[in-house]
Amino acid sequence: MPKTSLDLMQGTVAVLILKALSWGPMHGYDVSRSIRQRSEGELGLEDAALYQALHRLEKKGWIEAEWGLSENNRRAKFYRLTDDGREALQAELSTWKRYVDAVSKVLETA
Amino acid sequence: MPRRRAFRFPRRSAAQVAADVEEELGFHLEMVAAELVDAGWPQEEARMEARRRFGDLEGTREYCCALDESKENQMKWMGRMEELGQDLRFAGRQLLKSPGFSLVAALTLALGIGATTAIFSVVYGAVLRPLPFQDPERLVMGGFVSDEGKVQKAFSAPNFLDWKAASHTLSGVTSIENGTLNLSGDGSEPERLQAAQVGADFFKVMGIQPLAGRTFAPGEDKAGASRVAVISEKLWRGRFGGDPGLIHRSILLNGEPYQVIGVLQKGVQLPSSADVWVPKVFSADEMQSRGGVFFAAIGRLAPGVTLEAARAEADVIGRRLSAQYPDANASYFKTMTVESLSDQILGDTRKPLLILLGAVGFVLLIACVNVANLLLVRAAVREGEIVIRAALGAGRGRIIRQLLTESLVLALAGGAAGVAIASWIVKGLIALGPQGIPRLDQAHVDGTALLFALGISLLTGILFGLAPALQTSRTDLSGVIREGTRGSKGRAGTRARGVLVVVETALAVILLAGAGLLIRSFSRLQDVSPGFEPEHAMTFKLQLPEKRYSTEEKLRGFTGALIERLERLPGVEAAGATFSGMPFGGNVDVLTFSVAGRPPAPVDKEEAIRIATATPGYFKALGLRVVRGRPFMPQDRAGAPQVVVINEAAVRKHFPGENPLGHRIELGWTVDGVHRGGEIVGVVADFKQDALENEIEPELFLPYDQAPQDALSVVLRTRSDSQGLVSAIQSQVRGLDPDLPVYGMQPVGELVATSTSQPRFYMLLLGGFAALALVLAAVGIYGVIAYAVRQRTQEIGIRMALGASRDRVMGMVVRQGLTLALLGAAAGLLGAFLATRGLRSLLYEVSASDPMTYVGVAAVLIAVAAVASYLPARRAARTEPQLALRGEV
Repeated sequence: MPKTSLDLMQGTVAVLILKALSWGPMHGYDVSRSIRQRSEGELGLEDAALYQALHRLEKKGWIEAEWGLSENNRRAKFYRLTDDGREALQAELSTWKRYVDAVSKVLETA
Repeated sequence: MPRRRAFRFPRRSAAQVAADVEEELGFHLEMVAAELVDAGWPQEEARMEARRRFGDLEGTREYCCALDESKENQMKWMGRMEELGQDLRFAGRQLLKSPGFSLVAALTLALGIGATTAIFSVVYGAVLRPLPFQDPERLVMGGFVSDEGKVQKAFSAPNFLDWKAASHTLSGVTSIENGTLNLSGDGSEPERLQAAQVGADFFKVMGIQPLAGRTFAPGEDKAGASRVAVISEKLWRGRFGGDPGLIHRSILLNGEPYQVIGVLQKGVQLPSSADVWVPKVFSADEMQSRGGVFFAAIGRLAPGVTLEAARAEADVIGRRLSAQYPDANASYFKTMTVESLSDQILGDTRKPLLILLGAVGFVLLIACVNVANLLLVRAAVREGEIVIRAALGAGRGRIIRQLLTESLVLALAGGAAGVAIASWIVKGLIALGPQGIPRLDQAHVDGTALLFALGISLLTGILFGLAPALQTSRTDLSGVIREGTRGSKGRAGTRARGVLVVVETALAVILLAGAGLLIRSFSRLQDVSPGFEPEHAMTFKLQLPEKRYSTEEKLRGFTGALIERLERLPGVEAAGATFSGMPFGGNVDVLTFSVAGRPPAPVDKEEAIRIATATPGYFKALGLRVVRGRPFMPQDRAGAPQVVVINEAAVRKHFPGENPLGHRIELGWTVDGVHRGGEIVGVVADFKQDALENEIEPELFLPYDQAPQDALSVVLRTRSDSQGLVSAIQSQVRGLDPDLPVYGMQPVGELVATSTSQPRFYMLLLGGFAALALVLAAVGIYGVIAYAVRQRTQEIGIRMALGASRDRVMGMVVRQGLTLALLGAAAGLLGAFLATRGLRSLLYEVSASDPMTYVGVAAVLIAVAAVASYLPARRAARTEPQLALRGEV
């Protein structure tokens, strides 16, 4: 796989996670479920990639983690957006929109 | 950085990180599996499916663990930096909060670190820094060992050439002869230069590269080679303005043209402080005269050869040379040896300078002890603060770290001020600098010294900070709460401070004893009579160039005319000239001799005597009495009967109980087959020849006219202040020879003072350190006693209320101070007894365990301690019992 598309993939996963967490703190399983539901099953995000991305974002300081109790009273690691993460999400979103606009313009005029 | 970071969970270990990742991923897999079971999957298959859907589980686990661990590390370091930042800010605030304490402590440290750094700079610059030659430790100097084990370093050409040819342990052997040359003929005033005549391979053996041009080529030291010279950077920049065109031009040295071929950078003037180097061409006479020793030989050890091997070889060659040429050699030496050139150049200086470095280290230690003492007092004051920090959960390590940060900040502040002080002291030391400390003028606070200062600042910070920090952090919460804010550890703290004061007093006593010994030794030296009268006398030197003064007739003519002109100058009482006979002049000539009518001594047992020439007025000009017979007279001229005058030491050694007058002396020096020497016509009073501390050696004088030489020291005795004479003397010399430089002009008293400049230098420095140590120790005693008095205010109040008199209270306090001082003095005297043995070689007629000095030092210390305790004692005695009892003082 060419490197550019891998970067795009990673970046996309990150935006999706940040967006999901912008609705409130949740654990990894919830993040995966919410992305699947909101994309109405179109986006099947691989779990391995999700968790690697979560830990990457935590190291970057965009999200932070805290242990808590899940709905079924199990110990689970909850992630929450930090201030830095919120800013990063805004930046990523606008980049993403510009990207989509540009690509659409090219594709539609063709 | 957000403030709430200050309270954070403890950092996780690698195992904890792995467990967390495992739990997180496990939770996910279970949730997925549960979802599948809800959708109708069988339990076991649902679990398998969840794992399948997850993807690379193992890889993710490793990836997440690695990321989390690196994050933990990052947080740990950030936390540490943040803590350090906090500590530094807090330390700064604490120090600023008590400016008096901080200032005294930093100043004390600045003095200690500054003095230590300054002495280190001098010691490093002068003796520790490698010599500016290639592999200087491989260079050796040849020497001849006499029967008595005395080593002489002077070679004759035949012995030198034989040694050079026979040696296999040395890859090169070269020669150097120090002297002076007159530089003239370039339009400026004639100038006397320190010169070195060296073998053509000198620079190759030494490994010295020229700054510009070239050095000597092989063969340039052979007779008939064209005359070439290498000059120093100092001469090139000074007299010739750094003119690059000087190379290949000619200059006149002693009236002969020499082509300048190269310039040497400054710093390489060792082993002699020459400004010009010319090749040494051995004359036919010199090649014949095995007994005529006049130059030094330097060799380089061949690769892989040890100093011991070279020494063993020199021994073999030396024994052979002595046996093979007994006439010339046997009385001079039994064998040969080699010594390290570094030792030769730096050896005499290394020891006293290292002693000074050790002494200043003591001062620094005392400064540390004082600051530690201040910190202990402060620790008691800050007990409340520490207790609160401990109660809030600060661990002991954390508190120690905080306190150490404070001492390090203090030490670094002191160190920074110390470096400023150091460069100032170094300049002072160089200005004060005595003669004979090589490279002293090049010493400065350089990068090495700065590193040294930083190192000792950190070290002292830990040294004086650690003990108080440990003590302070050992705070017992319940104890403090029971006793109130003042002093759960009053007793332990007082004891610790007492021990510190005893230690610093002991160190101060050691320094005082060392300084005391040097002062006594110096005053003994000052009391030594030189034997001549240095006051109201002036001296200068002349070197008559061979070219214009080629015959004895011309030498006699010039010298006679000069003395006559000088005697006629107003204010001059007497004038005379000598060759080699000038006290403190640095020249020594020795010849073998025999007394006519006595059986000849065997060849290797021949007597030798110092030899000099003198004009008739010389003894009078120098203020020397003729104790028997007569001085030289104008009639002792060339062609008249040969006569000699000897000194009292010669009479004692060679004519004990005999009248020496009338005996004939025959010197081991023949001219046209006739022995020089003559009838003893007078005995002149003894005078110190080389240095005040040296023994007077037997010496023999010849009338100048009967043995004229080209190097002269002239002495004038004046009626009053001699300063106005300088220009008159110069114009008299110029009147006789306009190209002849007058040099070394100075009052004779200055010559004597210069000879004691090294002992004076060491005495002043050690004395200064001792004074500083004494002041610091006094401050330490004062501080401890003053603090103890403040702590005991209530107790003193009770004693006074119960009827103790003021005198009694004062006595009690002073006694406490004196007890510390006595303990310190006793320990210090013991230490001094051991330490001052290292000073022995610097002492003149004072024993290293001189009881007078020891008693004096102890007395000074106890007096100072009494004063330091008296002040707080007076305050204690003024205590108002009622106020003290109510705790209002």
